[in-house]
Amino acid sequence: MTLLALRAVSKQFGGLRALSDISFDVAAGEIVGIMGANGAGKTTLFSLIAGNERPSGGTIVFDGRALAGLPPHRICRLGIARTFQIVRPFGGLTVEDNVATAAMFGAAQAASPAAAAERALAVLALVGLAERAGDLAETLTLSGQKRLELARAVATGGRLLMLDEVMAGLTPAEVATMLEIVRRLHREYGLTILIIEHVMRALMQLAGRIVVLHHGEKIAEGPPAAIGADPRVHEVYFGAAA
Amino acid sequence: MDALLSGQLLVAALVTGALYALTALGLNLVYGTMRLLNVAHGDLVMIGAYVAFWAFTLLALSPLLGLAAAAALAALFGLALYHGLFRRLLAGGKAAQRLEANSLLLFFGVSVIVQNLMALQFTATPRGYQYLDTVYRWGNAAITGNRVAAFAVAVILCGGVLAFLRFHVTGLAIKALIQRRDAAAVVGVNVERVQQLALCLGFASAAVAGALVSMTEQISPFMGFPFTIAAFVVIILGGLGNVTGGIAAGLLLGVLETYGVALTSSAYRSILVYGVFVLILLLRPQGLLGGRRIVR
Repeated sequence: MTLLALRAVSKQFGGLRALSDISFDVAAGEIVGIMGANGAGKTTLFSLIAGNERPSGGTIVFDGRALAGLPPHRICRLGIARTFQIVRPFGGLTVEDNVATAAMFGAAQAASPAAAAERALAVLALVGLAERAGDLAETLTLSGQKRLELARAVATGGRLLMLDEVMAGLTPAEVATMLEIVRRLHREYGLTILIIEHVMRALMQLAGRIVVLHHGEKIAEGPPAAIGADPRVHEVYFGAAA
Repeated sequence: MDALLSGQLLVAALVTGALYALTALGLNLVYGTMRLLNVAHGDLVMIGAYVAFWAFTLLALSPLLGLAAAAALAALFGLALYHGLFRRLLAGGKAAQRLEANSLLLFFGVSVIVQNLMALQFTATPRGYQYLDTVYRWGNAAITGNRVAAFAVAVILCGGVLAFLRFHVTGLAIKALIQRRDAAAVVGVNVERVQQLALCLGFASAAVAGALVSMTEQISPFMGFPFTIAAFVVIILGGLGNVTGGIAAGLLLGVLETYGVALTSSAYRSILVYGVFVLILLLRPQGLLGGRRIVR
């Protein structure tokens, strides 16, 4: 079943064409990777889907509903959650309150603050932050804040999780932990995941399918092995083949 | 020296401090959630004072009930301003600095218009009324009933707002918004509704402070400015967007001002307040109580 469908989506910032004519589908339960150099339009794509920016053209349909023009909180409540590439924790709130806010106001719509706290603690345990629940979010390390960002997105109760470079800036050991966490979220919460990642090996391992963007256009789409062998992708990443 | 140690000064300091805390609370909510610099905040204090004054003189309504009317009126005024002036500004997603600059100019205009409309309508003559002016004695301190009432109401309301932020679900949304607007929106917080609520709450608390002030002081259309300044000093002292810190800072400014005036002369009041302001900006621009940390 198709959960998310993009058709001819484009975004223009003044004279700059950030995205043009992007179309692809995401089926329920899939992990789809988004690849591309800096400035390829990956984060813009997430912002359009999550409602942080409005598309200049095209349609985005989630679970049979067109998202055009809906504000971010409505889209969140329909079941789309995102993380930010540069973490944006509620620094002055506790780790638990950060996640409880998501449980309270997101698609999960926890019935009471107690239920929200319970849900928050369950998700925090999953990302390995349970013992930090009472600490202020700003006291976490970058790795901790990345996991908090992830926990907050998961706690909204969305069915589609959009992860924007959750592994960037992490040590190899932390990347391995994060990979395991994402796999577990996919499995245990039955989430559909759209993931932007520069850590290529991680993306190749996780994603069942990869969409490659270049200068705002989709230049390739397919299983990781095929993408790895695609001459157009090679050209973009490594220059023209000799 | 004896005067400094008397309970009299302490009582006066606490009353002033509690009113500053309540006034600044509203400013803090509006700045914290929307980054709007409301330089017309003191004029809401003035409007609240006039509502209480007219309710008392025309309808013989106790200012303690009149303050509810003042709060409601100010909240409606806030909603009107939100829809008329700020909704599009906020939806534009401009950088916080642009928003601060634009809102500063807009609120400055609002302040000039409100002050002069009030002067036109009610003249610039200071007005006052007598209410609960029985003097109570308490050791060596003497205090009028209206000051006790003003202090009690201000403390209860500050406590109420803190409890609301701490325990109510919407309080959590307000705190989240103060910390990160964009992140609050993507976890499902209805940013627009929370902003409207914060603006209504902020305006209403200033008007209530005004109604309380009207019981103890003369009022005039131009009484608001010192409150605007005091409120800004308080929220900078307590840390911008830090609601708990602001309440503590309000009490502190009340103490500084009252004791400072007692040690020097009332002519130095402004110098004291601005002096504190400048010192804080020079020495601890992030506020006495630290950065963005707010009630847990």
